[in-house]
Amino acid sequence: MSKKHKVLIASTLFLLPFLILYLTFTIYPMLQGLYMSFFKWSIIRKISFVGLQNYQKMLGDSDFWGALQNTTFFVVISTPVMVVVALILALICNRKSKFMKLFRVTFFIPSVLTVSVISYLAIFVLQPYTGLLNSFLHLCGMKIEPYWLANQHLAWVSIILTTIWWTVGFNMILYLSALQDVSEEIYEAASLDGATKTQTFFSITLPLLKPITKIIVMLQILSSFKVFSQILLITGGGPGSATRPIIQYIYETGFTKSSFGYASAISYGLFAILVVITLIQFRITREKEV
Amino acid sequence: MESKRNYKGITITILSLILAFVFVIPLIWMVFVSFRHEGDVINNVLSWFKPPYTLETYPKVLRTSGMLTWIFNSLFISVVSTTATVVVSAMAAYALSKIKAKYNKYVMLFIIFGLMLPGEATIIPLYQIVKNFNLLDSYAGIILPGLASPMAVIILKGFFDGVPQELLDSALIDGCGLFRSFINIVLPLAKPALASIAILTFIGSWNNFLWPFLCVTSEKLYTIPLGIPIFNSSYTSGYVLPMTVNSIASIPVIIVFIIFEKQIIKGVTMSGIKG
Repeated sequence: MSKKHKVLIASTLFLLPFLILYLTFTIYPMLQGLYMSFFKWSIIRKISFVGLQNYQKMLGDSDFWGALQNTTFFVVISTPVMVVVALILALICNRKSKFMKLFRVTFFIPSVLTVSVISYLAIFVLQPYTGLLNSFLHLCGMKIEPYWLANQHLAWVSIILTTIWWTVGFNMILYLSALQDVSEEIYEAASLDGATKTQTFFSITLPLLKPITKIIVMLQILSSFKVFSQILLITGGGPGSATRPIIQYIYETGFTKSSFGYASAISYGLFAILVVITLIQFRITREKEV
Repeated sequence: MESKRNYKGITITILSLILAFVFVIPLIWMVFVSFRHEGDVINNVLSWFKPPYTLETYPKVLRTSGMLTWIFNSLFISVVSTTATVVVSAMAAYALSKIKAKYNKYVMLFIIFGLMLPGEATIIPLYQIVKNFNLLDSYAGIILPGLASPMAVIILKGFFDGVPQELLDSALIDGCGLFRSFINIVLPLAKPALASIAILTFIGSWNNFLWPFLCVTSEKLYTIPLGIPIFNSSYTSGYVLPMTVNSIASIPVIIVFIIFEKQIIKGVTMSGIKG
């Protein structure tokens, strides 16, 4: 056996376990989903080939557009907040003080908890009359009784605040590591030249953070588009369907209404949107760098 | 001038501490509520935090809720997932980094492609596939779909690339085969990266909600994230039992996080920057 063959066999053996799992549970579902989207398909079995009917139905489905609108709303509102808050928290953690580690740990703690704990904590904190938030408001002398999860606008506020609390730690860590990479000497030089801290921040720190900001914005938009679990657990998509995101609509179409074919078509709709966003972002990132 | 700057610094520190307090107060509240007697009357927000305290709800919840089963399942699934993910991705990363086969470049591109696939958009076909394999509602069905992590392979490959080739070449001359140099040279040198990936995988698996939620129907396979919503949703006014369940589910994770804070944060940084 030649050496070349040996190398080939060895490398295949090392790659095989990963590739089998990857092909079966990552790549195959993509193709299977495309296939299913051309069929009428129940939770039990394949029923009949329907061509592009599922896609046609999607374009005329007001529930689909409603869910897409909710998701887009969530992305548009939460992304800038998630980026700015993360930067502020990272700046706090990067200040030289006795509490550096304390801040870093506290801001990241919610990120290591499961969505179920986070969601039920949110539900109990936001409970009218006896919940932590409303009883704190009473303590401060406020005579109001906001129903955080029953009112459509407050439900959105609750979901967005909970999501920030839960996940902003990830973005903060990325900013923090970028801040720590900025060399001390640049700041020293700036302060020797008489620059104030505000000037230093806006004309030195912020521009240096541009590359990591692009990455964070991109990761954030993609992950916000896939928002589901916390909404399912906190509001169930309600009141009515006011906070129902696209993944929940896919889930309900597939599992509650037993239309696997149609649910697969909607999944491909979402997939197309995500691909377009990724391409646009690559485009923007490139243009700015040139 | 000096003192003015000092005042500003102190103000920022105080505001930061208040913000940090806001971040943890729901968790502190959760723990204090779990220390209360069931049915205590709470008149205002401060009385949640005042004694008397008791631990009586902890054994009660553990006895009546099925929580011991959830804890066992979560531990079992997370340990198996973590071990398998680390082994499988380290092997793949080793092949891509240190065994010079012609097709490496294409395999790498194919794996990077996987990073861009949104797993949430394939829940329906994945369910169908796992069903075809007859693995719904089983440990294998919960674990297998999560094992191939492109992110882990890419991070580890980056690490293995840093292991000097001369080291492996001289080992080869000494009669050390590819497999032995993987076990004896590359893996020990990559320990920090392996640790970060193991911890991140463990936390991810411990907290995983969406796939087990779809895959599992029988109560004996519930993990902590599946059990909590079912348990909590049966209480709308009583806070003590739900908060005890939430505390039991969270306190171990928080302790693990505080101990391994450095590795976890390094892992997050690596995954974000590679992504």
